Parts: sequence; structure tokens; C-alpha cells
Amino acid sequence: MQTAKDPLEIVQALDGYNYVADEEFATALFLLLNLRKPLLLEGPPGVGKTEIALVISQLLNTKLIRLQCYEGLDINSSVYEWNYQKQLLGIKLQEGSSLSVAEKEKHIFGTEYLLQRPLLQSISETEQSPVLLIDELDRSDEEFEAFLLELLSAFQISIPEIGTIKAKHKPYVVLTSNRSRELSDALKRRCLYYWIDYPDLNKEMAIVRKRLPGIEQDLLKQVVEFVQELRKRKLNKTPGVSETMDWAESLMALGYREINSRAFEQTLGAVLKSADDIQQVKQEGIRAFTN
Amino acid sequence: MKLQAFQTSTITESIVAFSQFVRSHGLNIGIEETELALQAANRQLLQTRKNFKHALKIIFCTNPEERQLYERLFSLYWDTNPIDLKEEKNKTILQGVVERKTNRSLVMMGHGNADKETTEAKNISGSNEAERLQKTDFSKIQEIDARLLDEIAAKLFKEMALRLRRRMKETRRQGPINLRRTIRRSISYGGEPMELYRRSQKKKKHRLIVLLDVSGSMDKYSFYLLRFVVALREYFRQAEAFVFSTSLIRISKALQHNYLDAVLSAISQNADNWSGGTKIGDCLRQFNEQYGKRMLNGLPFVIILSDGLDTGTPEILGKELNKIKQRSKKVIWLNPLKAMKGYEPTARGMSEAMPSIDEFYSAHNLQSLLHLENILNDA
Repeated sequence: MQTAKDPLEIVQALDGYNYVADEEFATALFLLLNLRKPLLLEGPPGVGKTEIALVISQLLNTKLIRLQCYEGLDINSSVYEWNYQKQLLGIKLQEGSSLSVAEKEKHIFGTEYLLQRPLLQSISETEQSPVLLIDELDRSDEEFEAFLLELLSAFQISIPEIGTIKAKHKPYVVLTSNRSRELSDALKRRCLYYWIDYPDLNKEMAIVRKRLPGIEQDLLKQVVEFVQELRKRKLNKTPGVSETMDWAESLMALGYREINSRAFEQTLGAVLKSADDIQQVKQEGIRAFTN
Repeated sequence: MKLQAFQTSTITESIVAFSQFVRSHGLNIGIEETELALQAANRQLLQTRKNFKHALKIIFCTNPEERQLYERLFSLYWDTNPIDLKEEKNKTILQGVVERKTNRSLVMMGHGNADKETTEAKNISGSNEAERLQKTDFSKIQEIDARLLDEIAAKLFKEMALRLRRRMKETRRQGPINLRRTIRRSISYGGEPMELYRRSQKKKKHRLIVLLDVSGSMDKYSFYLLRFVVALREYFRQAEAFVFSTSLIRISKALQHNYLDAVLSAISQNADNWSGGTKIGDCLRQFNEQYGKRMLNGLPFVIILSDGLDTGTPEILGKELNKIKQRSKKVIWLNPLKAMKGYEPTARGMSEAMPSIDEFYSAHNLQSLLHLENILNDA
């Protein structure tokens, strides 16, 4: 895949891993692989942003290192932490030795006392470039975002006690965001940017068929059309592609071959995840969605 | 006017000129992006037009809006035929370029024509004067006092933002032990942790969403309230601001760049917002539908600045506000009318809104606005 000559080849390669991508998205991946710039993916939930990082790592046959962001994520849990217990022991063990204070300090701040967290791990791989997934970056604080800048542009991390660690193999970085807040311009400028939207009818059918090869054509078409229609409504939580798949799967598991009113009542919870939405859609009735 | 594709002779030149072209139309790109574009072109991406277009789109754009703009710029740049150009010329004004008009004359409270008189007003300023103005209802401010009050407001709001920021830095004596520092310092005692260092709980920063009513009835207050909103932005770094009357406009971006004048003139040009009544309910619904999903995350503070004189259906206001309340930490409603003697929130819109409001305050003069500092400090 690293040697892919053009985006079309990437589309085909992804297809082999059950990931349906269009050419524009493949171009984004092509640039990620070739220019080694981080790729920022934004879009609504459930359109396969996280999934693509996993697929790339499988394609490249390399490790996937994942960092899930949350509010309050700090350097200690994302980059590195000292192994305090081991350090305390280390100091005790050195008690009898004739080392000077400076030498002792140097020892207990050596690499064997360092706990690597995902970001540090991603730049200290010795074999080959890993894929680093920084998931839902919009949930983290701005401070953390600013901290990422060094990593994303120079692929290095500074640890005061040790110095600067530079990547031997630059990781392929994929960042995702649901756009619950706008990320800073500084960060965006260091990344390639791609907006993944909900797929259109044909693409979504292709995606579901890939994952559920056993599905009957009629049911597939009905389910996808139904969900596409749902997305036009003003719902609290718009269903993503993963909901479409969940729904199709539950319908199949219950042995339905088409969406009738009984199936509709029974399984709506698989695709709509809010009581208000379910009520609203039930009121409209199945007729409003199938013609 | 920047060059267009047909005016350049080599492909490198075309690409460089294209990046200048899109920059002049508002995309934020620099030399680095241009370089990347050339690198991408060098990697076989020139072979088809589609690939080339996609690649540059991925490099140049940083949000969905820019991606839309790019589509237009791309064909404008690469497809313009010199023969058609004469007709095209006038059509090339695209959105994205911020108009920095400084005609504040249109703006609230007749600020524009107060110029002559203010020179006299300066002479009578003093500490007493400043104090009096702080307590004066915005709607009763004379034109001659307006500029002075404006200055005082700017100063006080700035101080307030600074105080709020400073307070965040206070540390506590209790809290979990900071092992990292403790161990570091213990080395000089041979590893005996003689001094314990503690880690204070970092204050969580909440996000802020401000909705400001700029309808006719709020006219006298809007200007100062907008100033206030700008000051709040200093403290809450993730702040979103909207103005509304019959429809909702997002002004966060403009405030970020301190284009206060541009905002004011944009609002005043939008005649809709001045005449006609206020449809608070409809505007809140528009907010919920368009922005609610991505902004009402992580329990933000929501401040609504309005007199609550709703000409729409009050039931909608109640329903939509309740939706906001469920997804926010606190809903604070500032109503300039509250300070009026005998005011009760009985206007139909207001009474529908009351159940969903956590804090209800007046906002008729500077002091009442500064009072909000205490509430926000608990944030």
C-alpha cells in the first residue's frame, strides 16, 4: 500500500478489507502515506472515521497505537509518566553506594524508569512506522491540543529529565473529531483535512453488503433507504452507518425479510437511540418512510 | 486581481499562482501548503484532474465551509477562459473576505452623531461621574455620556476578565500528593520524602454560549451587552456567541478577530433584525437544530441576554429552552427589564421560560453586569 501508485489502487486495497471508500478519500490517504503529514478527519459520528485507522494499520501490516481523548486528558496519561514506585525502590537500593547525588538522579531518571504512554510509544518504535490514532480530539482541552503541535510537526517529544526524543520511524497519524468544538488553526495547519459525510444510497448499500454478505437485496435496499430518509428528519441523534448495520443485522437475526409494521415497532431501537426520536418516528408511521 | 491559470506558463507557476488566488479569497494557507501542493503534484497526482483537485482540496481546506468555497474557486481559477473574462469580472467577489467596514454611524444609540458633543462631555468626567454612570440604566444614558460610559465599560470589563482568569491560578493545600515533584526533591535527602508536594485540582473550564437579543426593544442595551460578551470571551476561551431577533446569526468568528465594528454594522444592515418583533422561540429552535448537537456538549454555560418580549409562540420558547437546559450546566437569563420597579416575569414568553432558567438577573447597567462575575466564578 505504501507503494500505491495512485488513489485508485488504494480504493481497491481498502475494498479487500471491507472498507468502501471513494476516490477523494483515497486521495487523502494517498497523501497521508506519501507526504507523511497527519490526516485530520472530521464528520458526524458513525461514518467510519476511527475504523479507517484500523484498516490502514492492517494494510500496512503495522501496529495501531490508539489514544482516546477526553476532557482533562493530560501529559501524564498521554505521553509518559515516571514509574514512581520503582524510582523509590531505586533510591533505596542506591543508599549504600558511593554515587554522587547528580549520578543518582541521572540513574533514577533513566529510560528504565519511564512508563511510555501512547504518544511516546508511537515515536519510539524501532522496527517500522506505526499508525497513531488520536481519537475524538475535540473532547480534549485546548492545552493538550497545543501540546500536540510539537509532535505533529517535528515528530519529537521533549522530556525535561531526558531530553528530546525524536522518532526513528515517523508514525502515520490519523486524528478524528466530531466537531463539537472548532480545533485551533495552528493544529489544522499541520494536518491534511478531510470531511467524511454520511454516504449516499449506493455507497451505504455497498458498505452494508460488505459487512453482511448474507443480506437479501430487497431487505438491504429497504433498510438503507429507510435510514437515508431518517437522516432528513430533525432528530436528536441522527443514525450513522453503524446504526444502519446494527439494524440490518437485528432484522436478519429476527428472521424478517422485509420491514413490515411489526418489524418496525420491534427493532426501531437498533437505529434510533433516543426516546423522543422513536416516539416521533412511530407517530409518523412506517408509511412515511417507505413508498 | 491575482493571476488565473491561463495567465501562467508552467505548471509550477500555475500551482503557486493558484495558492495565491485561493489565499486572496479567504483560505488560510501559507508557503507550507503551497509546497505540499507541489509535492503532491510531483507524486503522480497530476495525471487526472479529479485527483489533482481532491489532493489540493485536502491540503488547502480546514473545514466544510472552506471545502465548499474551494469547489467554486477551483473552477474559477482553472476554467476561466480569457474570452469570457469581461463578463466574469464583476462576479468574482466571493465570500470569505471579511469586510472591514467601519461605519459605526448606523449603530445603536446614535453613536455616530454624538461626536461633536462628546468633547464637552469629557470635561465633566471625574470619579463621581464614573460612579454615577455605572449605576445609570443604559436606556437613560444621554448621548453626551455615551462615549464616556463606553470607555468605562471597556475598562471594567477588561478588569473583570483578568480577575476571573487570575482566580483560576490559586492553589490549594490539600489534594493528592504530587509524586513527581516529591521524588525529585527527595533525592537531596537521600530518597526520604521530607517535603510533600501536592497537586491541586485543576479547575475545569466550562464552555460558554451567549445568545444576545438585538431586536428593537433591546436596542438601547445591545451595544453594551455586546461589549460584555466580548469581555467574557477573554475568560472563557471556548466561547460561542450569537445574535438574534427574527433569525439567528453566529458571530463567534467575528468576535474572535475583534471585528466589533464589523459585527455591529453587519447587524444594523440586516434590517430584519431591527424592525419586526422578536421570535425568541423560533431563534432558539434554529439554534438547537443547527448548532445544538455540536455545541451543547460537555455541559456548557448558556447566557441569554433578552427582555423576553416574544412575539412568536411562547410555547415554543418554553420547549426549546428546556431542551437547552437539559444539555447545559446552567442557563442564565439576563433581562434589562428586571430592574424596573414592580417588574414581574409575567410577559407570556418570559413566564414560559422561567421553569428552565437557573439564574435570573437584571442587566440594565454596568454594575449589574459586573455582578455576574460572582456567578461565573463558581463555574
